[in-house]
Amino acid sequence: MNIQFKKGVLEICVLAVLAHKDCYGYELVGEISKRIDISEGTIYPLLRRLKDEGYVTTYLQESVEGPPRKYYRLTENGRNEEHEQKDEWMRFATSVNALLDGKDDTAN
Amino acid sequence: MTLQTEQEYIRVLKNRLEGVLPQEELDDLLSDYSEHFRIGKANGRTEEDLCSSLGSPEDVAREVRATHLVRKAEHTCSCRNIFHAVIATLGLGLFNLVFVLVPFIILVALLAVIFLLGVVFAVFGSAAFVFSILQILGIASFAIWQSPAAGVFFSIGITSFGLLLIVAGFYLARFFYRLGIRYLKWNIGVIRGTEDIG
Repeated sequence: MNIQFKKGVLEICVLAVLAHKDCYGYELVGEISKRIDISEGTIYPLLRRLKDEGYVTTYLQESVEGPPRKYYRLTENGRNEEHEQKDEWMRFATSVNALLDGKDDTAN
Repeated sequence: MTLQTEQEYIRVLKNRLEGVLPQEELDDLLSDYSEHFRIGKANGRTEEDLCSSLGSPEDVAREVRATHLVRKAEHTCSCRNIFHAVIATLGLGLFNLVFVLVPFIILVALLAVIFLLGVVFAVFGSAAFVFSILQILGIASFAIWQSPAAGVFFSIGITSFGLLLIVAGFYLARFFYRLGIRYLKWNIGVIRGTEDIG
């Protein structure tokens, strides 16, 4: 999929994954690139922006193998943002899908 | 050019961002990528494979740089900072020539015209005011007003209008500055890197 808006939806994908569980960077990148083909390197700058905006916080946690890993966790603000963006996306996707299917059903 | 090793990847990031980001932030960013390589390798992946999945470090550097400069312009409002932020954002993609550069030039030109008009009105108004007074006192060597008293009021009006334009230009500049920062932030999150094809 080679379209400009792919990067734009990355933010909501990251928020959605973190809404399920706290992740370390590599894990988060894996969750997302499993489904979407992206340049994985751009997730880290995105995480820093989300941290600046107060949507996520980070903490270090020991791992069984090797040194501690940096985990990302959604803040209360981040949770609200996730809900909002998700609702917006769902409504948008429903409308686009209806158009693509050629359905004549505009009642909602 | 595709990078083969972790060392190369980290070096490109470091070279591009040294002196732009504060050292502490740069170290933190580099440690994120080191951790990525470390865990990837522990999972049996090669450095080459990890590099190719990460994509271009230049793109990452450009994005981090633009984000940092926009944030800096947000915290310390100055022409210089917003200029740097706009230039850094321009580098993110060809799209931005149209979506950042063009609106920026139009806004700067608009504000320049408003300020210039304000200054012109204020200067000419003040000069006319001084001349009217001289004419009333009978010192002026020639008359520009038929009624110097009306000239006083008229020139005060012109001067006030000029000052008003300058003040309005100032508020307008501040408004566009804030709006511009929000737009640049949004833009960075949406515009895809130049070397990311696929």
